[in-house]
Amino acid sequence: MIETALIVETVVKAIIALAVIAGMAGFATFIERKVLAFMQRRLGPMHVGPYGLLQLAADGIKLFTKEDIIPQNVVKPIFMIAPVIAAASAFVAIAAVPYFPEFTVFGYTIHPIISDINVGLLFIMGAASVGMYAPLLAGLSSHNKWSLLGGARAVIQLLSFEVVSGLSILGPVMMIGSLSLINMNDYQIGGVANWLIWKQPLAFVLFAIAGFAETNRTPFDLIEFEAEIVSGYATEYSGMRWGLFFIGEYANMITISVLVSIIFLGGYNDIWIIPGAIAMLIKVSLWIFLFLWVRAAWPHVRPDQLMWVCWKVLMPLALINVLITGIVLV
Amino acid sequence: MFEAIAFYMFSILVIGMFLIVVFSKNALYSMSALAGGMIFISGFFFLLDADFLGVVQIIVYTGAIMAVYAFGMMFFDTTRDVKENIRFKKIIYTLSTLSAIFVIFILLAPVYSGKIEALYPSIQGVGNIQMIGLILFTKYLVPFELAAIMLLAAMISGIVLVKIKMEETPTDIEVAKGEK
Amino acid sequence: MELRGFKNRNVSPGYIFFEGEPKPLTSWEQFKRFLSRAVKGELFVGLWIVLREMIRFDIHTLQYPMEKLKMGPRYRAIHKLLRLFDSGSERCIGCGLCEKICISNCIKMDTKVDEKSRKLVTQYSINFGRCIFCGYCAEVCPELAIVHGSSYEHASEQRASFGLKEDMLTPLDKFKANKQKEFPGFGALSKDADKFVKKTPLAY
Repeated sequence: MIETALIVETVVKAIIALAVIAGMAGFATFIERKVLAFMQRRLGPMHVGPYGLLQLAADGIKLFTKEDIIPQNVVKPIFMIAPVIAAASAFVAIAAVPYFPEFTVFGYTIHPIISDINVGLLFIMGAASVGMYAPLLAGLSSHNKWSLLGGARAVIQLLSFEVVSGLSILGPVMMIGSLSLINMNDYQIGGVANWLIWKQPLAFVLFAIAGFAETNRTPFDLIEFEAEIVSGYATEYSGMRWGLFFIGEYANMITISVLVSIIFLGGYNDIWIIPGAIAMLIKVSLWIFLFLWVRAAWPHVRPDQLMWVCWKVLMPLALINVLITGIVLV
Repeated sequence: MFEAIAFYMFSILVIGMFLIVVFSKNALYSMSALAGGMIFISGFFFLLDADFLGVVQIIVYTGAIMAVYAFGMMFFDTTRDVKENIRFKKIIYTLSTLSAIFVIFILLAPVYSGKIEALYPSIQGVGNIQMIGLILFTKYLVPFELAAIMLLAAMISGIVLVKIKMEETPTDIEVAKGEK
Repeated sequence: MELRGFKNRNVSPGYIFFEGEPKPLTSWEQFKRFLSRAVKGELFVGLWIVLREMIRFDIHTLQYPMEKLKMGPRYRAIHKLLRLFDSGSERCIGCGLCEKICISNCIKMDTKVDEKSRKLVTQYSINFGRCIFCGYCAEVCPELAIVHGSSYEHASEQRASFGLKEDMLTPLDKFKANKQKEFPGFGALSKDADKFVKKTPLAY
């Protein structure tokens, strides 16, 4: 009986989280277009609904009703699976993310986390790295040179930045002594002064850079960089399959924002008079704004620069950070 | 009940995936099935409450198979079937069947005789990660460190092998030869 | 021969060759360059500039179908044929200069001598599929009869939509309502044109 209740609760939570995150991911595309437009002195989408708010619905209708084109000579099953991997891995990753402090509804305490496994952080990173298969498989199966180049770049990006993100997160993990995100959050109870960013500034910067790389956002979005490789791995895609890639990308963005907020920026603990849930929302929105802001301001890097900066600068820095943390702790 | 369903589901998936790996002639199918199979194996770890090992399985093997993909990308046109050139079919099939039966026999022998027992039974209240840390840094310290040293040596030798001419671009070499 | 010799095309003497930044040779120099680029704050200047523009909210978007850009008088779009202000008859005298000068051969005119033994333009058409909007026809026209308009919305159902005489000529009712403006743009006389007229030798 208890097992059944648990399963029902988990399924309900999963459906809610899926719907909310998918909706937020869609809404993030609208926000992105607006913010980028404002930063470039444009208005962005304006015609559908008030201030273009319904643009999201228009895009959704367009994507869903478009013909699902599968070009000649592609490897059909792999070509069809790749976008599903992108979206699914992004949504699997949110299973271990706690979004808000626990709250009580009708005398029933709800933990806003789908599954509190005690290796939550590793699980999210594992899911994110599985997500890199999506561009790789899309690139390999598309029978298109741009796609292939995009896939190759996905490989180097994953192989380079997995190392940095893993090593940079080691410092905080060593201090907290747990891989569970809830423990990380509880470690920082008690105001801004207790945030981990003050104790691990280097790890924060490194993890932020790695986060940009793993979500393929602007300084490192070379796997779909229009000026060099038409649209990278997504060149041959259209309609809903293309849409799935982008829902996955934006869901990943949200996950990374939540991760940074929880690990370094105090999580969902109350700040001063702001309740924890609102604080969390503010932090995540600010972080997503940073993603868009950087996209408006900064140029891309070349693949060789990416690997240079990763292996010769960031990885040694991350190692030094781990070493210093170890010395201080011992 | 759920565990049993999950176990059989994962078993079928894993076996199916690895069958594709062996029998497919398309490199892309094989590699993708390999990746899928490796990820499905992590399901067993999760079922056994070994979360840490399951996640490590996913992370390690995604990276590793990513490297296999890189090689596949360099050596094959992955959208086409690979022409296999097998000469001595009979010998290969006999040997592989025999070795498979042998491996199954080795693995099943202790299970059949009922003499299997956990050397380090899991302790209540001690997490997965702590247990692995304890075992790795007490009993298996020397093999662990040896493996680390071997990996380091492999990494350094790899860097040294590539390091020759790494700083020079092809254009620089042409200029040095006086072709420009 | 060195590449530099090729590039030297005897331009003006103060020509400065820029070979790009000196390439960092050692890895320490590379690291220093990385540091100077990363820490110099140029990246943050970029961030600040886009944020400033966002806060300033100085939007330059023109919401096209609702708002339209007013083109300057010198803009060269679809041609117009004008009428004489005094009589309302066509300005075009059928001299054929525009037909001659048109470098993409897209102007075609037919003339005949009418009953008052004046030259009458019966057909005048421009093939806008070929017209490159160079403006020579307007410039060469002695009567300011063919001019460039400012209508830039060229989508139509047929190729010939804008190019016939009836389309380009100012309609009579519009002309009578005093809607025809003297053309201020390409090919027209400037306001101070009188000042530039030199006396011909005969005047001396």
